[in-house]
Amino acid sequence: MFNSNKMRNALVAAMATLTLSSPVLANEQPIKVGMMLPFSGVYGALGDATRNGLKMALREQAAQLHGRKLEFIEIDTEARPERAPEIASSLLNNSEADFIIGPVHSGVAMGMLKVLRGKETVMIVPNAGAGPVTGPLCSPNVFRTSFSSWQPSYPMGKVALDKGYKKVVTMSWNYGMGKESLDAFEESFTAGGGEVVKKILVPFPKTEFQAYLSEIASINPDAVFVFFAGGGAVKFVKDYDALGLKGKIPLLGSGFLTEGTLEAQGPAAEGVMTTLHYADTLDNELNKAFRTSYKAEFGKASDIYAVQGYDTGLMIASAVNQLGGDISDQQALIKALGETTVKSPRGDFTFSAAHNPVQNIYLRTVENGENKVIEVAAPALADPARGCKL
Amino acid sequence: MLFNKRTERIFFWVFFPLALLMPLFLAENTFFVSKLTSIMIFALFVMSLDYLVGRCGLITLGHAMFYGLGGYLFWMIAPEYEAVNFWVYTFYICMIAAAVALIIGFLVLRTSGIYMIMITLAFAQMAFYFFSDSIEFGGTDGLFIYVKPETSIFGLSFFDLDNPTHFYYLCLLSLFNTLIFFRILIRSRFGRVVDAIHENPGRTTALGYNIFVFRLMSYVIASALGAYAGYLFTLQYGFVNPSMLAWTTSGSALVMSILGGMGSIYGAILGTFVYEGLHYVLEHLTEHWMLFMGALIIAMVMVFKNGIAGSMEKLLEKRT
Amino acid sequence: MTTSLFLVQLINGLQYGLLLFLIASGLTLVFGVMGILNLAHGSMYMVGAYLVWYFVEHTGSFGLSALISAVIALLIGILMERTLIRQLYRRNHLDQVLLTIGMIFVFNALQGLLWGNDPLGVAVPSALSSAIPVTDVLEYPVYRIFVALFCVGIAALMYFMINKTRLGMLIRAGESNREMVECLGIDIRKLYTIVFAIGVMLAAIAGVAAAPMSSIVPGMGEHILITCFVVVVIGGMGSIKGAFIAALLVGLVDTFASILVPQLSSMMIYILMAFILLIKPQGLFSS
Repeated sequence: MFNSNKMRNALVAAMATLTLSSPVLANEQPIKVGMMLPFSGVYGALGDATRNGLKMALREQAAQLHGRKLEFIEIDTEARPERAPEIASSLLNNSEADFIIGPVHSGVAMGMLKVLRGKETVMIVPNAGAGPVTGPLCSPNVFRTSFSSWQPSYPMGKVALDKGYKKVVTMSWNYGMGKESLDAFEESFTAGGGEVVKKILVPFPKTEFQAYLSEIASINPDAVFVFFAGGGAVKFVKDYDALGLKGKIPLLGSGFLTEGTLEAQGPAAEGVMTTLHYADTLDNELNKAFRTSYKAEFGKASDIYAVQGYDTGLMIASAVNQLGGDISDQQALIKALGETTVKSPRGDFTFSAAHNPVQNIYLRTVENGENKVIEVAAPALADPARGCKL
Repeated sequence: MLFNKRTERIFFWVFFPLALLMPLFLAENTFFVSKLTSIMIFALFVMSLDYLVGRCGLITLGHAMFYGLGGYLFWMIAPEYEAVNFWVYTFYICMIAAAVALIIGFLVLRTSGIYMIMITLAFAQMAFYFFSDSIEFGGTDGLFIYVKPETSIFGLSFFDLDNPTHFYYLCLLSLFNTLIFFRILIRSRFGRVVDAIHENPGRTTALGYNIFVFRLMSYVIASALGAYAGYLFTLQYGFVNPSMLAWTTSGSALVMSILGGMGSIYGAILGTFVYEGLHYVLEHLTEHWMLFMGALIIAMVMVFKNGIAGSMEKLLEKRT
Repeated sequence: MTTSLFLVQLINGLQYGLLLFLIASGLTLVFGVMGILNLAHGSMYMVGAYLVWYFVEHTGSFGLSALISAVIALLIGILMERTLIRQLYRRNHLDQVLLTIGMIFVFNALQGLLWGNDPLGVAVPSALSSAIPVTDVLEYPVYRIFVALFCVGIAALMYFMINKTRLGMLIRAGESNREMVECLGIDIRKLYTIVFAIGVMLAAIAGVAAAPMSSIVPGMGEHILITCFVVVVIGGMGSIKGAFIAALLVGLVDTFASILVPQLSSMMIYILMAFILLIKPQGLFSS
């Protein structure tokens, strides 16, 4: 149960500091990768998948690391924003991590950012979509391998218009990511002449959706656009089906609605249409190989969170490779990371000046328990990065 | 004597000299200085709760409201890009928090026992949702404090708040002052009446004391200090988030206070250090830290009657 | 709001309220009889949901799984009372709080170890999977109506048990005067074990009943715990009747607030509770 690797690493590190009198070459020290992810509670599944993906990529790409060993320091954030600055400070000042990977939750991202912006480490966000991270608060040493909340939802406005929907009800939890997603959808949907007839914000983490769904049924809009993730997404999709709305009012969503949740949602999710920067059935060799080995290793289907963790690993390996294993020059490292083209299961992507991915957004639908790609909803979409001066 | 128990004196003479010297050993590692600082800040918060719960018998599960308020108040009243005076704003924040506590205390102190636990929780939850729902206060993402206050008194500045070691000493001083303050309060006439109310409210009323007023005063004092702790917490990293007001913050503080030994005041420091220390060690050791944390909490309830302080006293006090 | 929508929301509110009653009843029973504040009550709700998921995966039968889960919960309850809770009867309420918080940690950790963090779902049993059309768009699932009726049944059963049976008589006697019951030669310890185990089982049964219409996720117990306490306190601690009425009240207020005053809906049940406690500081039906 105790992580013997961690214990051993700690011991080795302690002995090293005690016994080594001669200066050690920087390149002989392990690359320290700190992880600030939730491993327990509501977001635990997301943290697990991200970590799995990250470690898998770094293991597969071991050849690129020029013999550098890796040391992982994993801390459970419990998705508690108020603890974020302290944990970030621990990884920065105590562990002296070269890379700090995290978090899942946007509030935690803000707390990390406060401590890590402009510091001697590289922060890579593998999930949290909070706009400010690559917007007004962007920083040279902060990267994101996932998305800004704006990205996956913005293209859905146009999709909805193309389908002929004019009046739409939008709904999400009343928190940063949810509100930003609804705003992004509304931005493109109303610009094309659509109308959001009602916007419903549900207190987080409430999952009693029946009252809202009854109201939506009485409004009877052309479609419903929602943002929910994890357990809430499971409950929402099941309720939508159980109350008979499914099949009568089309359900659209930001792709997280059907990520990591399909097994629990069961048949209720079939036919739900979402936009995201990934789809299970993307037809490229990398994706197929990734999905097969992920399934073989962890015994369950991979989801977007695993892909994002995986891509974070790819990105680190590629930059280390480019620098010949020497990452001591932060400027060079940041430059290498920023210029990386990540060859990802989601398709190749690059980074914008604000360090957010420039990536395809796919329109998907759930078929036989898989997110099946229909088309590219927006090719090489970049976040507008409002307020970023990089 | 300020401390009437031997255990208390021993604790005092062990803890404070050690805490005073600690940064000298840790100078290389700013993180541990910061970690100890944040534990001391939370200990101050727990201490204010301990006075309320252990001394006054007023159990609240809404104390985190004031902790969060301390942070948000600073953001609200201080100009964004100008360094204000730390002491002046300490005064402002404590006064505003006291005013809020006066109103809420007036309402919640009509109830008692579990009903008081729940009504304090109700107010705290309202405040929590108020801050997480409003865009003006940064919603669930929280807010950044960009400029830290300066700490000069009559032109003399002792602490630079951007320096972790300086901030450590400021928090140690605050903790020290709070402990002394509560000891003086407890030994004062006011404190004796509060003890009497805890012991036997009916009799104290019969003696002609208005117990509501004494309880309200205690509630106001503890809440103002709770806000001060939240203010310090916010200044440490310059980050405010509604999760500071979550009921889990009140819950953890209550756990640390019970663990330390209810009503002993200095036990709050013991409880916080033990709990936070265990948490830190376990979470770095294993992903399943919760299992061990839970088992240890259960074991400690079984072993320690009246918390750690109570057990230490049993061991150290002369039997008379 | 049209009449039909109003009626639908009324049913939504009642159905939610009845489920809340089922969860809260065990909590108030244990407090009323034994004076124990069991904060791990929400964890047992979670345990019930995970257990039924686990057994449905293995047996395929929801009814059988529900039965097995309830029995296991009963055993867990007996074990908890015999090994831990029993040690603390003579101690402060706050020690009980600390103990049961420790248990929350343990239950959460065990859930993570045994079943992982992925959200899980249980299919609605096929016999109850149909739905009744209400409007052109809206249907009402039969399973949810079944659960509501089941909760009413449990309420009736508890009423009968407490007022008409020997066990109920002992419970009422134990509530009002513990020493007297002991003097009459009744083994109060055995009574406490039974009551605690029933309380735990009720929480788990609520988890079982809720499983097919919700998502089974880590931390589901803590969220429901707070709502549960709101119900119990509004009703008056220890009063089953109070919990029943308070649960319906909370269910209805929460449902209608979501629609009518969405800006305040997050705070509404707390406003309700504060308001009631200011008027009646001991809740609606305190004993």
